[in-house]
Amino acid sequence: MRNLHNINQTRKTKIKAMKPFKLLLTSTLLVLAGCSQTSNQEASGPQVESGATSQNNLPATYSIGKPVAAEVIAGWDIDVRPDGMGLPEGSGSVEDGETLFEDKCSMCHGSFGEGVDAWPKLAGGADTLTEARPEKTIGSFWPYASTLWDYIHRAMPFPAPQSLSADETYAITAYVLYLNDIVEDDFVLSKANFTSIEMPNKDGFYVDDRPDTNNTRCMKDCKDATSIKVILGPKYSLGNTEAVTKSAETKTEHPGRSIYEGVCKVCHGSGVAGAPKLDDAEQWASRISKGNDVLYSSALEGLNAMPAKGGRTDLSDEAVKQAVDFMLHQINQ
Amino acid sequence: MVECRSLIPDEHRLIIHGMVDRPLIFTMDDLKRFPSVSEIRFLECPANGGMEWKAPQMEGLQFTHGMLSCCEWTGVRLSTLLAEVGVKPEGKWILAEGADGAAMTRSIPMDKALDDAIVVYAQNGEALRGEQGYPIRLMNPGWEGNTSIKWLRRLEVGDQPYYQREETSKYTDLLPDGRARKFSFEQECNSVITSPCPEVPLKKKGWYEFEGIAWSGKGKIKGVDISFDGGVTWRPAPIKGIVIEKCLTRFSYMYNWQGEPLLIQSRAWDETGYVQPTFKQLRAIRGGNSIYHRNAIHTWKVHSDGSVQNAQLA
Repeated sequence: MRNLHNINQTRKTKIKAMKPFKLLLTSTLLVLAGCSQTSNQEASGPQVESGATSQNNLPATYSIGKPVAAEVIAGWDIDVRPDGMGLPEGSGSVEDGETLFEDKCSMCHGSFGEGVDAWPKLAGGADTLTEARPEKTIGSFWPYASTLWDYIHRAMPFPAPQSLSADETYAITAYVLYLNDIVEDDFVLSKANFTSIEMPNKDGFYVDDRPDTNNTRCMKDCKDATSIKVILGPKYSLGNTEAVTKSAETKTEHPGRSIYEGVCKVCHGSGVAGAPKLDDAEQWASRISKGNDVLYSSALEGLNAMPAKGGRTDLSDEAVKQAVDFMLHQINQ
Repeated sequence: MVECRSLIPDEHRLIIHGMVDRPLIFTMDDLKRFPSVSEIRFLECPANGGMEWKAPQMEGLQFTHGMLSCCEWTGVRLSTLLAEVGVKPEGKWILAEGADGAAMTRSIPMDKALDDAIVVYAQNGEALRGEQGYPIRLMNPGWEGNTSIKWLRRLEVGDQPYYQREETSKYTDLLPDGRARKFSFEQECNSVITSPCPEVPLKKKGWYEFEGIAWSGKGKIKGVDISFDGGVTWRPAPIKGIVIEKCLTRFSYMYNWQGEPLLIQSRAWDETGYVQPTFKQLRAIRGGNSIYHRNAIHTWKVHSDGSVQNAQLA
């Protein structure tokens, strides 16, 4: 019933909002009528239901949309819940997970989940949540292992999300749990034993209980003026000429830069997974000597650990070539 | 991996399933046949200002408060679509999922879904832009922007939350005792002075219109007070224009500046009676590590040369 109530509310608002418009139309009709030979009868125009606040002949449902069969839904339904709902059949060992993790995850997360550069650290941080610099990792912070399975399967690895099989996902999940001392090194994670996993911080969350402040509208003598200590932030510097020049340069930047930044940099920026680093001209020398066409085709078709188009097969060939051009441009500088 | 900008509206589908009587799949044409609503609502990232929990670190307004917008959104009420599929009595939560590469998800309580959530296809009278979730996104008015899932493709009705990555690892508020608030959806009442600010200094002495914006995820702004002395004395600042719930609301105050240094602040309150807290009050309860929902009274230091600097008061 609540749904219907809301719908009626909505309709009421909508019709209310339309009323002045309708009245305006009516008066326009009258004015037009006054200037023409139209009879009085016609000039009165269509009857406006001025008293209507909602349409009273609407059906309970509109029968819009197509029914969808259970097997179709199954293809869309990829989420996994803490109670295990959504977990597919399958299993994976810590041992297999280690190999997979090294191959598919360590380039960003580090071999032991320590995190490369600013990429997320996945392990450690136990008992740091009350410290000045807490480390919120899977082991120290995440309340449910299902979130780990769900997210690895849904969004990882970064260049190729939703490419991992159920068994691979079980194995990588098991390895990450092992990195956090939640399971032993001989553990095999499966649909059957999944809900027995307890995360260390499972009781660390509670439902929003705000408002948690109770300020009042004090208007004068609200504090002692001499007690105010001012902590200043950085001085504003972005409006100076130097900054303006910089941003003007950005606008004429190489068309391949954005693709590089968004797609290629994840590996070519730091040299993970055997990718030649952009700032290492030596690594590029032999590659460049093979000619641009070879570089283009490696980028378009993939090479070694690099998938075709860096995993972004939706990109046009032209865009990928521009990214290669941009990288060559940077190397030659 | 789906490139969001390459979504083709004729091929895009929205599926609603789970604890419903009639699971349905909708085309874009289907969605546009339902009664539509158009509403002006703000949209804000809950991490807006999140860099400033420990100290003032940002140079200007764009960086302290910039992750905020206010637009007219057009689409179908989620309640209309839920009536169409028929939610079973056990259905208490909805998982919303996007068609982006990471298939981003959030769990939305049924009360919100039936209250004012919209499945949006237009923004300011034109089709949603790619970055905004074309061809459809969810819009949860007044709630943390992250819940308004872009490139929406799936809604699953269930009897409990799904505890996805964006509602456990992220978008939970770590507090000093080491526990964290979860499902902290609402963007509480907030305001900021937009002129003067570091980007808009005072260039000479004389009269100025000091202006700003106020907003609340709980409803309408009732009023805004302004202070020039760091919160010792406050004066009501007139509200400008129309006041709409969950919508940016302008305020202004004419001020005759004669070169004196100022500590300018705005303090908004909303129709629930909630008054925007001081930074000191907020820090006392939340500590410095909660990242999200920093809606404290903001301070700009106006120097005697008219330049404006980000500041916090201890």
